[in-house]
Amino acid sequence: MAKYMIRPSRRAVLSSLAAASLVSAGRRVYAAPAPIRVGCTLALTGPLAQTALVHKLAAEIFVADINKHGGLLGRSVEYVLYDDQSRADQTRSLYEKLITVDNVDLIMAPYATAATLAAISVAQRYGKIIIYSSMAQVYLATYDRAFPASHGGPHPEISNPKVILDAWASTPHPPQSIAIAASKFPSALFEAKGVRDLAQKRGIKVAFYLEYDFPSRDMNPIAARFKDANADLVWLGCLGVEANQLIEAMTKIDYKPPRSFYLFPASGPLASAPGGEGATAFSNYEEHPPMDKFKGADVLIPAFHERAKAAGMPYTRVDFQAATEFAAWQMLAAAAQATSSLDDAKMADWLKHHQVETVVGKLRFNEEFNCGDDLSKVKQVQKGKWQVVWPVAFRQPGTTFIAP
Amino acid sequence: MPSVTLLGQAVIAGVLIGGLYGLLAAGLSLSWGLLKYINVSYFALAFLSAYLTYQFGTFNGIAPWWSAVILVPAFFLLGVLQHWTFMRLRVTELTSLVVTFGLAVLIESLIQWIWTADFRKYESGFSGLTSKIGPFFVPTLDFLALVSATILAIATWSWLRWTYVGKALRAAAMDPEMASAFGIDHRRLSFLLSGICSAYAAVAGIFIALIATLAPSEIGTWIGVAFAVVIIGGVGNPLGALLAGILIGFAESVTMAVTQPAWAPLVSFTILIVLLLWKPRWT
Amino acid sequence: MDVIRHHGLAAVLVGAFLLFWVPMFGFPAYYETFLYSIFFWIAIASSWTILGGYAGYFSFGAGAFFGVGAYTTATLTTWYGVPFLWTMPVGAILAGLIAVAIGAVVFRLNTLRGELFALITLAITFILATIVSNTPLDGGSGVYLLSVKVPRLMPSTNGTMYVIALLLAAGAVTIAYAIQYSRFGMGLFAIHDDEDAAEVKGIPTFRYKLIAFAISSAIAGAVGSLSAVYVGYLAVPDTFSLTLPLYAILMCVLGGRRHWLGPAVGATLITVALNLSTSGADPVAGKAAVAAAMVLVVLLVPNGIVAVPRGKKRGVSEVAALASAVVPPLPAANTDGKVLLVCREVEKSFGGIRALHAVTLDVREGEILGLVGPNGSGKSTLINVVSGHFRAGSGTIEFDGTELRDLSAHAIARRGIARTYQIPRPFERLSVLDNVALCASFGAGTGVLAGRREAAHWLDFTGLAGKAEALPSELNLHERKFLEFARALATRPRLLLLDEVLSGLNSAEIEGAIALIRRIRAGGTTVVFVEHVMRAVIALSDRIAVLDHGMVIALGEPQATMRDPKVVRVYLGKASAA
Repeated sequence: MAKYMIRPSRRAVLSSLAAASLVSAGRRVYAAPAPIRVGCTLALTGPLAQTALVHKLAAEIFVADINKHGGLLGRSVEYVLYDDQSRADQTRSLYEKLITVDNVDLIMAPYATAATLAAISVAQRYGKIIIYSSMAQVYLATYDRAFPASHGGPHPEISNPKVILDAWASTPHPPQSIAIAASKFPSALFEAKGVRDLAQKRGIKVAFYLEYDFPSRDMNPIAARFKDANADLVWLGCLGVEANQLIEAMTKIDYKPPRSFYLFPASGPLASAPGGEGATAFSNYEEHPPMDKFKGADVLIPAFHERAKAAGMPYTRVDFQAATEFAAWQMLAAAAQATSSLDDAKMADWLKHHQVETVVGKLRFNEEFNCGDDLSKVKQVQKGKWQVVWPVAFRQPGTTFIAP
Repeated sequence: MPSVTLLGQAVIAGVLIGGLYGLLAAGLSLSWGLLKYINVSYFALAFLSAYLTYQFGTFNGIAPWWSAVILVPAFFLLGVLQHWTFMRLRVTELTSLVVTFGLAVLIESLIQWIWTADFRKYESGFSGLTSKIGPFFVPTLDFLALVSATILAIATWSWLRWTYVGKALRAAAMDPEMASAFGIDHRRLSFLLSGICSAYAAVAGIFIALIATLAPSEIGTWIGVAFAVVIIGGVGNPLGALLAGILIGFAESVTMAVTQPAWAPLVSFTILIVLLLWKPRWT
Repeated sequence: MDVIRHHGLAAVLVGAFLLFWVPMFGFPAYYETFLYSIFFWIAIASSWTILGGYAGYFSFGAGAFFGVGAYTTATLTTWYGVPFLWTMPVGAILAGLIAVAIGAVVFRLNTLRGELFALITLAITFILATIVSNTPLDGGSGVYLLSVKVPRLMPSTNGTMYVIALLLAAGAVTIAYAIQYSRFGMGLFAIHDDEDAAEVKGIPTFRYKLIAFAISSAIAGAVGSLSAVYVGYLAVPDTFSLTLPLYAILMCVLGGRRHWLGPAVGATLITVALNLSTSGADPVAGKAAVAAAMVLVVLLVPNGIVAVPRGKKRGVSEVAALASAVVPPLPAANTDGKVLLVCREVEKSFGGIRALHAVTLDVREGEILGLVGPNGSGKSTLINVVSGHFRAGSGTIEFDGTELRDLSAHAIARRGIARTYQIPRPFERLSVLDNVALCASFGAGTGVLAGRREAAHWLDFTGLAGKAEALPSELNLHERKFLEFARALATRPRLLLLDEVLSGLNSAEIEGAIALIRRIRAGGTTVVFVEHVMRAVIALSDRIAVLDHGMVIALGEPQATMRDPKVVRVYLGKASAA
């Protein structure tokens, strides 16, 4: 058991802190400028802690890397992180603290929709630029210095369902019917409604459209309903482990849907689930060709494997959560470098008119809500690993979309 | 109109999950009714047991039944130790709620510290096992959970009802002074019971590990329904807790099968309120 | 003591007044949001304690009423463009009304106390959450309120939010304070200790619980309304949460749930602790440390940091002074033989067992009537029926021309009927003086201060003046019985029902009690007493009534009645059977 304790990581954190302080102490001798402080909160405890940890690692990797290469604008970068305890009111208060007490130079958005909105409202009050990486409903971010790193385009409720249904339409036997169940979670619901509407428009029969309570304790009845409807495509607007719960529940009643899609599953558990083979899900990044050659991937992927393992995480591959967080930092750094300043107005203005090369691809921000292209992809569990299968350009050479 | 297969399958699913509810609620019910401790730490203990089952099974190759052989006695002792500590520190019925809540947070923190906040799934290889009865499927693990819950609940209930020790415990819960006047050593018996409560958490945890996916924050999602189960079933009554668990599981499951699943809590909690208003004490 | 507690409130209000100006000084905004969260929890915890701490009705429903306020504001501002400040009172009132509707059903059932009440409130939270989540009020997608205009009460939005939260917190604490030291508050404390006894002592328990529930819920609703705009985004699971009542309970238990200041102290400590543990370096350790600290504090001070003030020990002379100061003498003995209480054909059954059958009985003003009979003959049931503890199945009970059968116990008490319990049922957490003052205040309908003076008089009368500040648990049985007397007498009853007041007393104590009962009657009070000690019955009674199997078998002058062959049969038959 001891080998899975997070001691090593704590030691690593401590030693890196010590190293950081040595470095900064060393610099002070040469009258080096003070570090650029970037403030952020994450849900390190509470119900959102599973995914927040991924964001923390990705951010730390970026900061460590940029400091290794001389920092930003000739100054080292310091990551100022608080735990918002998965609470939006705490998030608001902590961003006020970051800005008005800690006087950080820049801020980065927290994890999850409610916290992101809370942070954006604080940022707006102080005119800070804020880049967010985990909020699908971009239309809620009306603040003109808020930029998404999670690229779903300005109207994800229209473009995302299109990506999903296009993927299936490309297969030899496209589904003729679809059964939809979605968690009562804002981003899951709007995707589910979008898929329902688009399916109807395309003449795909919608066997049912259901909403269930979040978080769900019991997926067995939903599984029974999917089996009963026996549609060509099972579409679950799920979060976290609900995908695993549903697959197990379906296995128990001896039902394996011909095609299945899971919106935001927990990547690790679903990839390794016995009944998970062939399941598809939403993505914008997986660490295989061609995406492992994208800008920064060479830094992110090995470092993430190492840090995730040291932190005792069971699944250590880079997925879209880690990649999007990393991309957010790439955007921030790019804007600062290009404008040679930490001025929020200048940086925001630059981002609006330029494209940024990031680990998730080339991003632009010149459309509504500071959005650009919808870079959404569909991934599939193949031999226990996630493979992007759609759009075709992002497929690993030699892989196909396995479908009936 | 839902098909018979769907309805039947939903009924089976509901009844079976009731077994897990019953196991999870039994410790709270017994300690609340008979020890006068509203002990919410059992939910956290159940997850500790679940994580240990996961750990043993995934990294040490110990099968879940061997985990049970280790965990049930270990948790029994843990329960006794906990009770001894509570008595030494003069925890009362009211403060027990705060103390055990704090304890639950500590256990949750311990779990997050050791296993991180990330999801853990124990791939035991049994999760897909199922048997077919007519058009219906009965998942083996869920069924085993219900059977274990039933055996334990009936055994505990009979023990409390028919044996001297059980009667003495109930008498002591009702009137400790009177009971001690009859020479009942409430303290010694209460250790036995506290151990049993904690052992229930261990059993519940083993099944949680086998059936569910683990995350430290999942502890909280069971508290609401477990409290409801305890109170509908009658505080201090393990058999009542099991029956109430089955009732709630059944009601939720059937609602989810025939209407918008999101309305399920409305149905089960309305049933609860109606039952309370109509006949609050039937245990 | 009064001086100290008034200083306490004054300090809190002066503090609130000073804090009010904080936003003017341009401190970093973080401090406003930090204090905001403290005020938020002070308001929630104080509102919880009004029902949960004072009346002992643990509610898990804070989240439900908080949610009602939050979604009222969300709906009114985003759908109808109602200004935010107007929606706050609407949210509060709506939350209060829903509480009244729920309470009107739930509080009528005597069975729904304790954990069952807690469960009902838990269920209501889930039901309201499900409704909001499945209707256009939210629909599951959340409601976005960042565009709602916040009025400029202060230079900044943060400052405005801060000031509103401050006012809510100060308001909640003041309300908790005002209730604690009012008649209403005393009534709630009595409900907490022994609800049935409270009702019999003249406290309108149903109405009081309803009011407490409504006030508590309305405050939670107002906080919810504010919070909706503060956070700017509502989602059902976070709004109708169990976290809210759980934290409120923790804060109240930690700070002291039977004191107006307790929740505020607990809320401040826990909020500060939670903020200290937000370090990103080791958040898990921080969380664990807060939990450990909470456990330690509760173990060290189980009644909360701010316990109920026991006050300084009042000397005997002080109580005596209080007593002699005011109390007017009892009305002169009235022995004209007018009938005060008439029972006609009273029936009462429990399940299949008939406890009272065709009981017809009259009690004359100024007399002492003894009720005797073997165990289980229905004597205590008769007292319980007359005092309204049980409702008669049929028949009429008239008191001075008023029909009592359909009146609730507290209304009967206020008409001048007082009773004692065979096993004394004092309010265990109130001092002896407060126990009596409360009965005086409710039974006789006086104010709190007048009640205390009255109480002091009756403590003097029963010889308990020296124990005025003791808790009932510190009294011996004899003193507890006399406390029962004092509590009954303090209501200045016209009819006093005594249920086996002599049982368990030694013969010297019995002599004292007999003398006391004589003095009571001399004061003009009519007495009906149930007793097994025949010596006392014969010595005291003007008339006796003998009950057997729920029926009155004899009634009349003591000596003659006891010689009645029917009575002899009952007693000797009993004796020979034994």
